[in-house]
Amino acid sequence: MKSRKLMVLMSFLLVLSVFLAACGGKKDDAAPADKGEDKGTTGEANEAQVLNLIETAEIPSVDSSIAEDAVGFNVLNNIMEGLYRLDQDSLPVPAMAEGEPEISEDGLTYTFKIRDAQWSNGTPVTAHDFVFAWQRAVNPDTASPYGPYLMAGMVKNAAEIGEGKAELADLGIKAEDDKTLVVELVRPVPYFLSLMSFGTFYPLNEEFVTEQGDKYASNSDTMIYNGPFQLTEWDGTGNSWKYVKNENYWDADTVKLDEINVNVVKEGSTGVNLYEKGQIDRVILSAEYAMQYADNPEIVNEIETALFYFKMNQERNGKATPLANENVRKAIARAFNKEELADAILANGSIAANFLVPKDFTFDPSGKDFRDYSDEFALYNVEEAQEYWAKALEELGTDKVTIEILGGDTENAKKQQEWFKSELERNLEGLTINLKEVPFNVRLELDNSSDYDIQSAGWGADFQDPISFIELFITGSPQNGMGYSNPEYDKLVEETKTTLANDPEARFEAFAKAEKILLEDDQAIVPTYQRGRMVLMKPYVKGIVTHPFGADYSYKWMYIEGKE
Amino acid sequence: MAKYIIKRVAYMFISLFLIASFTFVLMKLLPGSPLASAEKLSVEQREVIYEKYGLNDPIPVQYVRYMGNLAKGDFGVSFQFKKADVTTLIVSKLKYSMILGAQALVFGTIVGIVLGMIAALKQNTIWDYGSTVIAILGVSIPSFVFAVMLQYVFAVHWEFFDVGLWNSWKSSVLPSIALAMGPIAIAARFIRTEMIEVLSSDYIMLAKAKGASWLEIAFKHAFRNALIPLITVLGPVAAGLLTGSLVVEQIFAIPGIGEQFVKSINSNDFAVIMGTTMFFSVFLIVIILIVDILYGIIDPRIRLSGGGK
Amino acid sequence: MSNDVKNFPKDAFDRITVDGKHAEKISKPSLNFWQDAWLRIRKNKGAIVSMFILIFLVVMAFVGPYMVPHDPENVRVSHANLPPKVPGLEKLGIFDGEGKLGSKTVNLYELKKVEEYYWFGTDSLGRDLFSRLWKGTQVSLYIAFVAAIIDMIIGVIYGGISGYYGGRVDDIMQRVVEVLIGIPTLVIVILMIMIMEPGIWSIIIAITITGWIGMSRIVRGQVLKFKNQEFVLAAKTLGASDSRIIGKHLLPNIMAIVIINIMFTIPTAIFFEAFLSFIGLGLQAPHASLGTLINDGYKFIQYQPHILFFPAFILSLLMIAFNLIGDGLRDALDPKMKD
Repeated sequence: MKSRKLMVLMSFLLVLSVFLAACGGKKDDAAPADKGEDKGTTGEANEAQVLNLIETAEIPSVDSSIAEDAVGFNVLNNIMEGLYRLDQDSLPVPAMAEGEPEISEDGLTYTFKIRDAQWSNGTPVTAHDFVFAWQRAVNPDTASPYGPYLMAGMVKNAAEIGEGKAELADLGIKAEDDKTLVVELVRPVPYFLSLMSFGTFYPLNEEFVTEQGDKYASNSDTMIYNGPFQLTEWDGTGNSWKYVKNENYWDADTVKLDEINVNVVKEGSTGVNLYEKGQIDRVILSAEYAMQYADNPEIVNEIETALFYFKMNQERNGKATPLANENVRKAIARAFNKEELADAILANGSIAANFLVPKDFTFDPSGKDFRDYSDEFALYNVEEAQEYWAKALEELGTDKVTIEILGGDTENAKKQQEWFKSELERNLEGLTINLKEVPFNVRLELDNSSDYDIQSAGWGADFQDPISFIELFITGSPQNGMGYSNPEYDKLVEETKTTLANDPEARFEAFAKAEKILLEDDQAIVPTYQRGRMVLMKPYVKGIVTHPFGADYSYKWMYIEGKE
Repeated sequence: MAKYIIKRVAYMFISLFLIASFTFVLMKLLPGSPLASAEKLSVEQREVIYEKYGLNDPIPVQYVRYMGNLAKGDFGVSFQFKKADVTTLIVSKLKYSMILGAQALVFGTIVGIVLGMIAALKQNTIWDYGSTVIAILGVSIPSFVFAVMLQYVFAVHWEFFDVGLWNSWKSSVLPSIALAMGPIAIAARFIRTEMIEVLSSDYIMLAKAKGASWLEIAFKHAFRNALIPLITVLGPVAAGLLTGSLVVEQIFAIPGIGEQFVKSINSNDFAVIMGTTMFFSVFLIVIILIVDILYGIIDPRIRLSGGGK
Repeated sequence: MSNDVKNFPKDAFDRITVDGKHAEKISKPSLNFWQDAWLRIRKNKGAIVSMFILIFLVVMAFVGPYMVPHDPENVRVSHANLPPKVPGLEKLGIFDGEGKLGSKTVNLYELKKVEEYYWFGTDSLGRDLFSRLWKGTQVSLYIAFVAAIIDMIIGVIYGGISGYYGGRVDDIMQRVVEVLIGIPTLVIVILMIMIMEPGIWSIIIAITITGWIGMSRIVRGQVLKFKNQEFVLAAKTLGASDSRIIGKHLLPNIMAIVIINIMFTIPTAIFFEAFLSFIGLGLQAPHASLGTLINDGYKFIQYQPHILFFPAFILSLLMIAFNLIGDGLRDALDPKMKD
């Protein structure tokens, strides 16, 4: 009796384990076979030009008029092409434009010749495609976030169309013929050509887009491409997609990769594990892994042009905050060790920032970095901080101050905020910091209503000019929201757009002056760090190009070499 | 019976209506803007976009419009995926959650039943204690702790399975096991108690006296009687499992519905929040209904006419 | 023989008169409900061990943070990411401060020139994990207990009223419950958390908002069962008021089930808190709970598994203890009750 029971049990377990083993084993057998196939088709000399990447978020949209986030613009940069493209040194080079444009003397009219290029369905790319795309992006019915943001105040009549005072056809872009495109601006824009590499300005084939209607760009089958790659196997919301080489691309000979597989992986540790197991070729490390991989030869450090800072709100709900006191602001600015923040807390290749306009971002015509025009401000100095603090407390007539820091609710943000709290409370006696951690869009709402004391915020550049950062803090800017206003600062910024517009060096000097007012004289904000990326990348991955603004990467020049 | 079902279905619609209204209110209370690039836009530009999506209308107007569309089965358009309608989005994400959930449920129930039976038949032996311990652990250890442990041991350390992503059936093994712990524990405990009770009942005695074999007693008499109530216990568990466990999906980088839901809340994607909530609710309510009906069919002692139990 | 009997002295016997009053006398001392329960639960080894573990954990949650000279919220970046090091045990080759750095195993204490001992190591901001762990346990227990008590109060009142008054009242109240049951708990909890200011109380409110339903259903069922029984009928006939019937007759009878249910509500609340924290919707920094600690630790699992291990272990231990005590109590208080 007893042994029979045991038998039943044993046999059951046996069946179960065989079942499991069979299922497990099947895939094991299949996996090497896949690899073998890859090798077989390409041979020794000619390796499989297949790259495996991850993204941290899905593609929200690759409709160039509607795209508004990093992933979307990155994909666009690799499947589409504008008049210009950023090259391997992130300098704008003619792409859909054939050679340099003719620029009128006042710098307001650009005449582009369009290259002989084709969409992936074989139709030629014409000047009309650009006109259609720009009009679509600025049309209020499209509800494009970036179209009006980038074009208003730059392209003729863009702002007026938004206000309903002008027709779409009045937009300052005209096709003289199929190959000639004329753009009219309202003010000289020194960075105009680099802006032409930005997704919002890419061409759209009117016939195709109209035919698809609402379905255009809702998945990879309802699009046509004029860039180095075509998007495939993207269902519109999925966590994976593929790029395959676009044979119709005008510069297809340069493109070496045949295929790029992309998966969305949101957990940093899962990404690292996948990298370690060779399933992906590149992964961005979070701080927890940075320490462990610091000496790894596969580490690549990349500096981004995203700058983070404290916005110090001087007036909250109609009442002056302690931060209205200049000495409080100056004390806080000097009371925490930015080096420690960058090296030990973030530990991802970020650097301490004592400036607003990022380094390695903008250059004058001779190639000199804007940072060489300006200086570093409000360096970490506990003694000075305490002096300012003592003065501040005296002026406020109190010995206890409570300040709230509003910040993000991501892992990284939380960690920083906890560190800020402990660092500031330790160095400034009598200061209590309350932390408020909220999701991104909640923070923005509080920002809009100026409902915070200190806000830990950041900004990434969309075009290559110091003004993209400096302009944030002029009076009445939607990004100001902290009751800061200095007429002198506003005047300097205005000058760079008008009188100095065609004099790059004088412009940079004006920006430098403005930066000094903001960060030293007024101490309106406290820069904290310029973000970096610490990346693990397989040594056989060659030729990746990272850009300081707009899209993050170009895959056009990438290739695989030396993969076993 | 028919009358009872009609009544229940009517209540079901009332419930759904109330849930939709409740969620709508909660959702409108969510702070923040649904625009990812809101930071860059001026107030006027933002207004233009809100106007297009009808977000500037008074809340009651939005409510009536939304409920109208809902009645037509139109969940609206997602903000995160500008080109995807919510139904397509939910369906595409749900696929993965469903596969995981179904596997976990089947695997969990079978293992749970086996453990429970062993425990009951071998009461107070090492087998019994062993399966009780497993059941206790399954109930006690949170699925995400278990998922992390599984990932670390079997994928990172021993490399038996995939760390994450959805490549093949193999990718689903670890997350399914992590999710199965709950059903295993519930089924094992339940079957054990039920079977012990059944085994000590008179008709089993009679069967034994008549010389029925051990197998016959275990399966034909005891197990079948214990299985029936199990269905009712596992019903709600199934609803939970099939609609996805968001943490397990996150840990294994599986593009399921649970993970999508949290993301939608964080980005104020109203239509997706509503759609997912409604979907979850329908699922849950229907399962509860089915369980109740089954209960009535299986166990005639339950009076269905009374409404609740 | 008969002579022998007669020969017994008369005074060797006493006459016993059987008094009707003593006919039902029980020789053992009378036990009240709780003494009786205690007798039974004492035999349940699992429950008893769990009780000791639970007491130990609760005591540690309050004493633990003061056992080491480190403040749980003190950030000290130069001491970040240290593995556990315990005096005494280090000589045995465990808890000796060795940890992985890259592919090598090194003594991180020597590397970073740290003199202090961190029993459970430190986190990425250099905070002592031992004191943080117990502080976190404290917060988790606090949330769980408060949530369970609120669940109980609402559940008992709602279920009690519904069951006791019956009829229309019951009908309406049960329809409400039916609607609420259809709401996916997780969805509502997450939405609530997002709407409220983050913090301990929003977590508690979010957990309790649907948590009381289970309790109310059970209480209603019990009240329905008891209210038609003879002893209640008798009390009613004797003119007892509603409040007296509820307070003296019904409540004591359903108390056992309420308590059993609480023992299962607490671990559910602990789980929910940990879950919310794990998906990043939990407490505001710098507060810690077991969930936030596990979340922190998960990121480090490959190189500093200790950051995950301790809070995950304590969390599991707490859950197991509560479940076993709950099981034990159920068997002891109400042997007929099943899942």
